[in-house]
Order: sequence, then structure tokens, then C-alpha cells
Amino acid sequence: MIEPRSLKDPLRYSLDRRSVLMGGVAALTASSMALQKAFAAETLTVADPGGAWTPACDDAFVKPFEKETGVSINHIAREHYPSVEIKANVETKSYTWDAVIATDADVYELAPQHLLEPLDWSGEDMGQIMEAARKPGWMGQDTYATVICYRTDKYKDNGPKNWTDFWNVQRFPGRRAMHKHPIDTLEEALLADGVPMEKIYPIDMDRAFKKLDEIKPHVDVWWTGGAQTTQMLQSGEVDILPTWNARAQIVIEAGGPVAMSWDQGIYSIEGWVVPKGCPKAELAKRFIKFCANAKRQAEFVSKLAYGPTNPKAYDYIPKERAKFLPTAPGNLKLMMQSSTDWWGSNKEKAIERFNAWLLG
Amino acid sequence: MSMAMVEASAPPLSQAGWIRAWPIYPLLLFVLAFFVYPVAQILWLSLIDPDGHFTLANYVHAATTPVYLQTLGITFQIAVWTTLLAILAGYPVAYLLATSRVRTREALTLLVLMPFWTSFLVRTFAWMILLGRNGVVNHLLVSLGIVDAPLSLIFNFTGVMIGMVHSMMPLAVMAMLSVMERIDGNLVKAARTLGARGGNAFWRIYFRLSMPGIAAAGLLVFITALGFFIVPSLLGGRQQTMISQVIISVVQELLNWRFAGALSVMLLAASALVFYLYDRLLGMSTLSGSADDVADGRKSGVLARAGSAAGERLIAALGWMTDRAGALLETVMPPRADRPRRAWSRLVLGIVAGLIIAFLCLPSLFVIPVSFTDGSFIEFPPKGFSLRWYETYFTSPGWVAATTRSFVVALLTGFVATVLGTAAAIVLVRQRIMFRMAIITLVLAPLVLPRIIIAVALFYLYAQLNLVGTVAGLVIGHTILAVPYVVITVMAVLKTYDERLDHAAWTLGASKWQALRRITLPQIKGGLIAGFLFAFITSFDDLTIALFVTGGSTSTLPRQMWNDLLLQVNPTLAAVSTLILVFVTAFIVLAEILRRRAVAG
Repeated sequence: MIEPRSLKDPLRYSLDRRSVLMGGVAALTASSMALQKAFAAETLTVADPGGAWTPACDDAFVKPFEKETGVSINHIAREHYPSVEIKANVETKSYTWDAVIATDADVYELAPQHLLEPLDWSGEDMGQIMEAARKPGWMGQDTYATVICYRTDKYKDNGPKNWTDFWNVQRFPGRRAMHKHPIDTLEEALLADGVPMEKIYPIDMDRAFKKLDEIKPHVDVWWTGGAQTTQMLQSGEVDILPTWNARAQIVIEAGGPVAMSWDQGIYSIEGWVVPKGCPKAELAKRFIKFCANAKRQAEFVSKLAYGPTNPKAYDYIPKERAKFLPTAPGNLKLMMQSSTDWWGSNKEKAIERFNAWLLG
Repeated sequence: MSMAMVEASAPPLSQAGWIRAWPIYPLLLFVLAFFVYPVAQILWLSLIDPDGHFTLANYVHAATTPVYLQTLGITFQIAVWTTLLAILAGYPVAYLLATSRVRTREALTLLVLMPFWTSFLVRTFAWMILLGRNGVVNHLLVSLGIVDAPLSLIFNFTGVMIGMVHSMMPLAVMAMLSVMERIDGNLVKAARTLGARGGNAFWRIYFRLSMPGIAAAGLLVFITALGFFIVPSLLGGRQQTMISQVIISVVQELLNWRFAGALSVMLLAASALVFYLYDRLLGMSTLSGSADDVADGRKSGVLARAGSAAGERLIAALGWMTDRAGALLETVMPPRADRPRRAWSRLVLGIVAGLIIAFLCLPSLFVIPVSFTDGSFIEFPPKGFSLRWYETYFTSPGWVAATTRSFVVALLTGFVATVLGTAAAIVLVRQRIMFRMAIITLVLAPLVLPRIIIAVALFYLYAQLNLVGTVAGLVIGHTILAVPYVVITVMAVLKTYDERLDHAAWTLGASKWQALRRITLPQIKGGLIAGFLFAFITSFDDLTIALFVTGGSTSTLPRQMWNDLLLQVNPTLAAVSTLILVFVTAFIVLAEILRRRAVAG
């Protein structure tokens, strides 16, 4: 028998987890039976960004967790921006989500408002998570990057490599699209203007907008959603655009003439949070800990071209696959991380100025 | 019986006005409870600073930062153009439908309604693929030698207009049709007998009688267009940003409800101002009022008089111009003795309306072949043939359950909105109640406000009422959005209804209820059906409320599509759209066949 008390005792649990990893058959049976009893008939609602995320997450995390614990998981897709609903959940104590994927930028807004449960960072798996993906109330699950993507039928093997190339309309003629949003776009402008990656923040807005003025007449489409970029790359609506690597990956995997350049890419991290005061917080944290495991993360990114946040996952990822993932060592060192600190305190001003600039 | 007699014999005016107006109260209470109360709590935040003190800072910021007023201007500009184009293109279609034989009308109505059954998400992506640089339309234009290089049809103002007019035109056509159906064709014939030529007879008689329909259609299209955000963000360019898009971003990305509230209040105020001007200039009486307004001299403002005088001249001028054009055509091509004279205008009408209907059907028809693709993208021409996307749909419990739930929620919404809205519309048209304009503005307000604001407000209310994630919660939220369509459509139809029919029924001993059920409702059936349809589709196509108040446990079809759409637009969406299209069409045709059998039997 196991008492409900043990649910509140992370130490006890982490011992169980370790014994599972050690592979002791007895321990495995005992611990999973114990967990099964403890959580039997419990349900957990986890919300992810939807699309290809959902089946990959299902296979790598949700189903194995259900099998091991007997918990049944209600796995759903959430809004683009989960912050509003998390805030509403917490303020009304009416919890529609127990664990939900939020970006590092979301967390910058949510954490100071005390809307997140502190996570349980004990245990071997959690200890392996990369530094940038660790916050008290958030465990980064994957890394995604904004990179230059282009049609290879237009540029052959000699495609644009970095933002200076993107700005060079003489050498790289063709239809261009850009994101109708200042995040990443301002960084791109500064990188094109020759600012080194480590000196981007704090962003010099005057300089960035001056550089954007140059490219403005050459941008044919201002995209607003990721699905739109996949469609435009696939149909050849535009020849070159910045988008998230996984969006272009879909076209590449379907055999479309598309390539991407990791050089000067800008990466961000998204991961799990638990809304503050959630009655199922303990169980949700246990699920999150489950998602930190290197082997499971490797399985996750075998279906979805995101970078695992547990570097040990690369031990289980084939080389051919790794080259498409943002956190593969060869790729990561070419890129910079988007600064949630800078954006957190300047987003409002930047969006306002960007919108005014677009209309001008 | 005695009760009925007493009630019927009592002159209606003997009751106090506020008692007689009782049928409007359920709707007013509903709107107060589920719209005004929750939304006011959110909007109130715009006047409070984080420390709890009163402040106007949010409004000062919104009013003094040019980008917000500019965006508001763009929003109204886009809405005005959408309204003009939707009415202009919709009128000939509605006219053709209204003046066709019943069977033709029913068949054409099915085609006009097609865009309704294709989710707006799928429709918008269909336009992106049809009108893109390598799209079907540009291929056709280039290969026919009409243009040298592909045209820029989307990612600019043209793209927004195509997407929005396409979305709004079925609404405009149905609203106008419900009024036109009731115009007595003999009136036009009488005018012609009395010597009016075709043009004058049309403009001075038919057009004027169809004005309530135009007013209703214009109002509905305009306010619905104000709240658009998907079309401008997917088909628009650098400069087509609407205020809803900005408000959504302020709410979701910045979590700044104070400023979002200020922007929303600004949008509401600007819309109210437009209603007021519309009323002063054209007179809301075209829609809501009765002869009373004019008799009262209430509408004797300079603007109103100038407006109506200008209107008269315009109508006369249009009549004259049409007749001149007709005469010119006849001198160029003299009428032949062996053909009926009117065939020409009918032929032109048929061609124009036919082209417009083709435009309406195009994206829905495009979706059908695409859904049988063997590839993993929505593309044209589709790659190979397979049923794999249908298999995905039918083998997924999530999809099937979401479809069923969407139909249930939409039917319930249609029912509740039609009952509440019709009762209120009858009072608004027939009785001289206080604050009529204010009430109409209030009922319309949910359409103007960005849905995200309503969704957030409802979440906080539902949390107290334990309605989060329930079907009831969805139906209530959708009814708030759907009821304006019913109110306006039914008001427009009632405007054409002769109240003396009711008086006759009462005189003959019918109770008020009997007269309503046997005389009034059957006579205004067209408006009721159109209102129900609009309510149904508002619910069936809603994403924002569903995303928010369900949290995820109760998925609807648009929500399920959204889940699928986040990384790419895959052909399952095309398969679902095709299935819905086939299902709804089959349902309507079957219902019609059964009805005819019943009538014949």
C-alpha cells in the first residue's frame, strides 16, 4: 500500500523513479503499481500547441505516462497565446488546464504575476535539462528557431545564408515575406546591419527601423501565422522568408524544393507550466518530470523537428535527424537566443512602433 | 376562450406601454446578464490604474498615439467598402432569386448559401491558393493571354475585399431576399400599365419597397465587418490592419486588459456614432420605425430631410438613366417582333447574377477535388486520388464528436436566438417604446466588440456559474453573437407586414397568440428562416468563444479544425468541409422534398 502522503513527498518519488531507470524489475513493478494505485481513476488535462505537436506528444509522453501510472490524460490543443486563459484559470480558480505549454516569453509575463506553480526540480532527468530551459515555474520542453527558409528551385545550392543576404535584393532577387510582428524581425534587421549576435540586446530601435526601411518596399507578404508560411513555401508564393524551422521542415519532408539556413537563426524555448493553485498540481508536476527524460525527448523530436532541451537526448537521435534540430550542437552554436528580458519590458513599445511603421 | 376574447377585445393601448412591451424583456435580460454585466467589468478596468485609482491615461494614450486612430480609420474604411460591394453585388442576386420561380429560387439559394457551410478558415486558405502568384486564377489569366505577369490579387486591399465580400454576401443576399419575397409583383406591373417605363417602374416602385432589406443587410454587413480579423490577417497586406487584430494582440500578448478595454470602448463609441449618423441621415425608420416617426416630426432634422430629398432625386435620376440606357440599347438593337421585349434585361440580370453566384461557390467547389488528394497539402491540382483524408476523419472519434457537438450547439443557438430575437423584434417594430435606438445599439454591440473580449468576460462569469466547458455555456455565448442577426432580419421583414391582418384576425375572434401563430409568423417566415440560418452559422463557425469557454473538454468543429491547422493546413480540413457541404445540402433538399410531399398529400 502507498499512502496518499507520498504524492507530496518528492524525495520518495524520485527514489522510485531512479530505481525504474536502474532497471530493477521488482522496483519497476512496485513503483508503477504503487503509482497506479495512487492515481487510479485520476485524470489530468494537458494542453499543447496543437497541430503535429499533439500526436508526437501523445506517443512520446502521454501514452507512456498513462500506461505507467494508470492516470487518464485529456490531451487537448490550446490557443496561440495561453497566458490569458492561464490568468483566467488562476483568478477564477476554475481550472481548464492542469499542465500547459507556454513560451519563455509567456513565462516572463506570467511568473511575476504569481500565476505559476513552482515545479519539482529534483531527480536525474530534471537535472539534465539545459540551463536556458530551467525556471522555477517552467520546464522548457523544446527549442524552436526562426531561420531563413527559401525555395531551392529559385536559388539552387547558392541560397541566402544570413540576414545580410536576405536584405541583399540584388544578389537574391525574388518574392519576400516577413513576419508582421516585431519579435525576431527587429533582431533580423540589426543582424543584417552587421550587429554581432551577442550585441543585439538591448535593441537599438532607431537603427533597426532604419534598416527595415530598406527592405520594406521589397516585402510582398507580411505573414501573421505559421500555417501561412508552410503554405507559401510549398506553393512557391514567395521565394524567401523567415519562419520557424518546423514549419519549413514539413515542406522539406514532403519533398518540396525548400532549404533553410541556421546561420544567425534566433531560437526560443517553450515548455510546461502548471497554473498556480491547480488542484492537480502534484500530478501535473509528475507528468512534467516524466517529459524531461532524455529517451522520451528523443522519441518526441523524431516526429517533430524541435530541439530537445535535455542534451542527453542526442545520444538516442540519429545523425541524419539531428541536423534538422535546433539544439544539435552544430546548429545551436550558429544561433542566438531571443531575449525574454528585453522583450518583456519593451514589447508594448516595440509593437506600437512596429504597427505605426507598417502603416507609414 | 373567454380569456382570449377578453384579451382580444381589450384595445391594446389601454395597457401601460412598459407592460405591453413584455416580449422584449427576455432578450434584454439575457443581454444584460450575459453581455453587459460581464463585459462592463472588463471594460471598467480601462478607467482604473493598477493601484485602483481612477485614470484616463489609457484613453489619452489611445487617442494621442496616431497608430490607433489610423487603425480605427482603416477598420471603418474596410467595413464601408465591404458593405457597399456586398450590397451592390448581392442586390442583383437577391432580385433574381426573388423574381424566379420557386424551384429555381430554391436551387439558387442552395448555391448562395454554399460559403456558409465551408468553414471560414478553410475558405480563407482556399482563396490564398486560388488567388496566389502560382494560383489557379493567375494561371488561367496568363495562359489566356489576358495578362502578361501574375496579378497581385491577395496580400493587399483587393485580397481583403475579395475575402470579406465573399464572406458577407450570403448574409446580404438573404437579408434582402427575405424582404423582396414579400414585394407584390403586381405593383410594378401597375406602374407600367400607368405608363412608367421599365427603369422608372423598377427604381421608383420595386427598389423603394426593397429599402428595408437593403438597410438591414447594410447594417448587418457593416457591423459584422467591423469585427473581422482572420481575413485581413491572412489576405491583407502591410496596411490592412484592423482594430480587432490590434485589440486581440493587446489582450493575448501583452495581457494589458486596461488598454484593450480603452481601445474597445473607442471602437464601440465610434460605431455608436456611425449608427447615430446613419439614423439622422437615412433614418433608422427604413428599418425599425413606422409611419409614426414621420408623423411625429421626430425625423424632421435638416439632415434627415436633406437626406430623403437627395434620396428621392437619386431614385428619379437612376430611373431616368436606366430608361435612357434601355432606349439606347433598343436603338442599337431594335426589339424583334418575334421575341418578348423584356428578355434583354432578364438575360443581363441572369448573366450578372450568375457570375456573382459563381464567385460565391468557387472556394467551396475548389475544396471538393482537393479533399481527394493523395498528397499532404491542400493544393491544386490535387496529387493523385485517395480517400485517406476521409478515413482520417471517420476513424477519429475526436472529429466525429466535434461535428455532432457543433450541430447540436448550433441548432440550440439558432432556436434560442430566434425565439428571443423575434419577440424583441416585434416589439421594436410595432410599439413606440422608449430608448429604441439605444436598445438596438445595445443588441448589436456584441458584433462590434472583438470576440476575445466577450470570451474573456464570459469565462469569468461562467467560472462563478459553473458553466465553463459546458454545452449550455457555449449556447449562451453563441446566442449573444447570433441574436442581432435575428432581430435585424425579423425587423426588416415585419416592416413589410401589414398589421391590419392581425387586427382583422382579432376582430374575427382570434386571440393574440392565435393571430401571431396563424397569421403573423407564417407571413414573416422568410425572415425567421433567414434569422435562424444566420444564428446557426454564427455558432457553427465560431472559434474564439469555443476556444475560450470550453477550455478543451468540449470541442467543436472549428476548434477541432484549429487544432489541426496550427502547423499546417492539411487536407482533412478539405474533407471535413466537403462532408459538411454534402450533408447540409442533402438535408435541405430532403426536407424540401418531404415538405412538398406533405403539401401534395
